[in-house]
Amino acid sequence: MLKKKLTAFTLAALMMTTLAGCGSGGSADSAGEGKAEAAASSKKIVIKYWYAYGDKIEEAKQHMVKTFNESQDKYQVVAEHQGNYGDLHAKVQAAFAAGNAPAVTDLEIASTGVFAHSGMLEELTPYAEKDKEQLKLDDFIPGLMGNAYVDDKLYGLPFMRSTPIMYKNVTMLKNAGLDPAGPKTWDELEEYSRVLKEKGKVGMTLPVDIWYYEALVAQSGGQMLSDDGKKAAFNEPAGVAPVEYWKKLSTEGLIKMPVGDEAGATAGKDWANQISAFKFGSTAGVAGSLEIANGNGFELQTAFMPANKDYGVPTGGCQLVMTSKSTPEEKKAAWEFIKWMTSKENTIYQHKHVGYLPTRTSAVESDELKEHFAQNPQFKVAVDQLEYARPRPMENAYPEVENILTDAIQKAIIDPKTTPQDALNQAAEKANKLLGK
Amino acid sequence: MTVWHKLRPYSMVAPAIIVFSVFFIYPIFYMIYLSMFDWNFVSPTKDFVGIQNFVDLLTEPEFRQVLTNTTMYTILTVTLSTGLSLLLALWLNRGSFFYGIVQGAIFSPHIISLVSISLLWSWLMDPEYGLLNWVIGLFGFEKLQWLSHPDTSLISLVIVAVWKGVGYNTLVFIAGLQSIPADIYEAASLDRSRPWTTFIKLTMPMLSPTIFFLVIINMIGSFQVFETIAIMTQGGPVNSTNTLVYYIYEYGFRFFKIGYASAAGVILLFIVGILTIIYFKLLSNRVHYR
Repeated sequence: MLKKKLTAFTLAALMMTTLAGCGSGGSADSAGEGKAEAAASSKKIVIKYWYAYGDKIEEAKQHMVKTFNESQDKYQVVAEHQGNYGDLHAKVQAAFAAGNAPAVTDLEIASTGVFAHSGMLEELTPYAEKDKEQLKLDDFIPGLMGNAYVDDKLYGLPFMRSTPIMYKNVTMLKNAGLDPAGPKTWDELEEYSRVLKEKGKVGMTLPVDIWYYEALVAQSGGQMLSDDGKKAAFNEPAGVAPVEYWKKLSTEGLIKMPVGDEAGATAGKDWANQISAFKFGSTAGVAGSLEIANGNGFELQTAFMPANKDYGVPTGGCQLVMTSKSTPEEKKAAWEFIKWMTSKENTIYQHKHVGYLPTRTSAVESDELKEHFAQNPQFKVAVDQLEYARPRPMENAYPEVENILTDAIQKAIIDPKTTPQDALNQAAEKANKLLGK
Repeated sequence: MTVWHKLRPYSMVAPAIIVFSVFFIYPIFYMIYLSMFDWNFVSPTKDFVGIQNFVDLLTEPEFRQVLTNTTMYTILTVTLSTGLSLLLALWLNRGSFFYGIVQGAIFSPHIISLVSISLLWSWLMDPEYGLLNWVIGLFGFEKLQWLSHPDTSLISLVIVAVWKGVGYNTLVFIAGLQSIPADIYEAASLDRSRPWTTFIKLTMPMLSPTIFFLVIINMIGSFQVFETIAIMTQGGPVNSTNTLVYYIYEYGFRFFKIGYASAAGVILLFIVGILTIIYFKLLSNRVHYR
């Protein structure tokens, strides 16, 4: 009997300490803090914000959420990390189906179409209209607004937006006797790679990533899909040229094109370890890559992706969207939050902290960023490159088309018997079936 | 007799029945229902398409490759894993301290999360920075591409699965070996039976229930392989490691085609169902039980 009582007592004591532990442990991260504070002042409207990616990106997002929560006392935003864009989209969709979606979420720009068409997103046009004095929609850089509209309705505001840029190991180029200002064209990239190969290096390690492929198609003067989005256009000469170029360079060993899930990571590692002189990457990597270059003792410059007929890049990254099934109060809170996150001050902050594009013209022209660019020219390249930027396709079937294309391009590069034209024709045939629906 | 007396047994089994219905029976029927619609999970309307999803699936070359991949993966994993485990079990079935350590060592992957295992092997098999290629390089052989080439990616995944599964299979085999009564062996040795004959005529038949159990359980498990693929290859390169469950996940949660994914799910249900029936049939007929 006594023993039983003792056990019960110990259990209770254990539970108390565990609970207390949870309390103090939870307040360390700001998500837990948000919940605790929300409980304390029940008048506040609490909304959830889901975001993607960790590290510097997460730091910046958490910091902005925290300052928003401190800036006013009506709303409380609880920010939750959900993995990469793919994971995030799947979770938002499942949560929406279960009636438990976050009020605000990051959304990768190419998926805006699918989400808007299926009725998951709140149209932001009336909100923007009502608040136009404060919001200044015109202030957003026009090149970034292409993916914000679906069927002429506003669904998102540019948040952490990017373009792919080229990262150069200038030290390596100088050692090889190459002009560190280049390469500016496809041909120059090939020549540079040839010289680097003689030195036992490769020009670039490059994963088959449709985002980069979109860039090379744009550089060749083509487009991914027909204007109405019902047909594939990537099997036209401008779409075949990039794959032929890649196949030629990788067959000759001038660039390395690993395939598979680790290919992207391998590209980054080869560049960091100075096996390759160049890498393509999102502008989101500027701050991180600068740290790597400093740590490994080489000089880093960023540049436009090399031109074929012209320069050209897709934009990328995410925008902030509001889900459609929240209560009116939550939507109000969500709108205030979205405005805050995309303000001039915050876009400057996230640009400096991570490297994503400043999304507003006023931010680019601000003294703060002018000074920042003067000191760190690596950050400016992506902003300048925006002149050549174009939106990503947003058709419902595009994520699936991307998959088909990745397989086709990988096959064309690995398999000597498959020509780029044949591989892309087959991919186009499959894609047309999906897009035509 | 009160009402309670009549209700009592039902209330006792109710928790199990409810859990079973909600988490097993209902999802199966809902999946079969969804497989006849074109739906993206969230839009308010579901379009009825009848058997169109199945027609699409079965005429899609990619899906045929997925089925081939899954079958190849299953055959290789099951043969290698059970074969190797049987050899190990015969070797380890002695019960000294040393053999206990070895048995513990090969069993340990079984208790590690598949996610950790996948991450570990991703690094081991990295073509540039991995340990395996480094070792191969030391011996002067050409580096393998492992997961990064369509020719080697599937077999690389099989290696991981065998490494993970062999410990458990060995354990079950050893248990099976030890349940064979010693007197039969004594009789055999009195008859001067050679070791090979003893193994074929005595050990194998006595072990057959265990073998069939492991083969079927491993087959069902292999048909449902997902974690290693999601983490290590995402079905690539060039669709060479895409298997049934990953395909279902991809269509359901990346392309949001829940009807199409459900149709693939029905096919998986069908395959696993057949395997299970075979299992019970074989168990009741062919397999030797004392």
